[in-house]
Amino acid sequence: MALALLPARCLRRLPRLLPAPSRGLSGARGGPPSALPLGRRVAVVAAVGGAAGGAWLYLRARKERERRERRQRELRALALGQGNFQLVDHRGQPRCKADFRGQWVLLYFGFTHCPDVCPDELEKLSRAVELLDRDAALPRVQPLFITVDPERDDVAAVARYVRDFHPRLLGLTGSPEQVKAVSGAYRVYASAGPKDEDGDYIVDHTIIIYLLGPDGLFLDYYNRSKTADKIAESVRRHMESYEPLLD
Amino acid sequence: MSAPTMAERKACWAARDEFWRCLDTHTEDAPRCEKLRRSFESLCPQQWVKYFDKRRDFLKYKEKLESEGFHPAETAGKS
Repeated sequence: MALALLPARCLRRLPRLLPAPSRGLSGARGGPPSALPLGRRVAVVAAVGGAAGGAWLYLRARKERERRERRQRELRALALGQGNFQLVDHRGQPRCKADFRGQWVLLYFGFTHCPDVCPDELEKLSRAVELLDRDAALPRVQPLFITVDPERDDVAAVARYVRDFHPRLLGLTGSPEQVKAVSGAYRVYASAGPKDEDGDYIVDHTIIIYLLGPDGLFLDYYNRSKTADKIAESVRRHMESYEPLLD
Repeated sequence: MSAPTMAERKACWAARDEFWRCLDTHTEDAPRCEKLRRSFESLCPQQWVKYFDKRRDFLKYKEKLESEGFHPAETAGKS
């Protein structure tokens, strides 16, 4: 309505204030006014993608770390292998747990009349120790074999058995009571099967390789499915992040 | 009776593997592999023969489960 009061010459200018409807749609001069050049758009997408990828990797690493820490807490709560053991090594020397203080130990419970599992696991253990030996910066691991068949596996039998594996492999045996005590401490299940006419029998037992830290406590375990490489990798990680569990 | 040495263990495992390979080729037709069976039994302690036989049964059963799926026995219906 105010327009009616304006002089005619002003009204003549008005159409120019309105944008021409056809501009911007045909893109005759450089396209829509708000677009970035292609290079800039690629850079923005790359930056956002990179940030998202970085965040995902960080979260994944954090989740892995938390999983490991949770496992460590659980293993620590179990506190396997507490208490002393008194055994005899394959050279006839008495050995107790304190003798291994200050050393990293990979421990396997088995028996010399074992058909296939024990030789396989001891080969694997030996191989893992060999892999770790290659790194001069790491402390030397002590491989240990403890029999679950003390009736048959005396010192001589254990000596014959261990020499087929890693040169540092130490075999331990003892009286049935002593062996029962140490397998109890490590919660190792062992059960002798029925004897045949020769008196031969197979001992059914837990198939696990235990990792003990320098304070003598159980830090980790490896079952049949863990390869020597994985075991060596895990031991190395433990060595690098080691904090004593007991004062 | 002392435990087998590493050499004896390996001889036993080799005989077992040969026998099992024969069984695989002749699809468990035991009479065809009689000679290898005898060799396996002579090279391995009796307990181990029993143990490996059970292991073979288990591996075959597992194979069957993995290829055919699990079919509970008909009589398992009674609760």
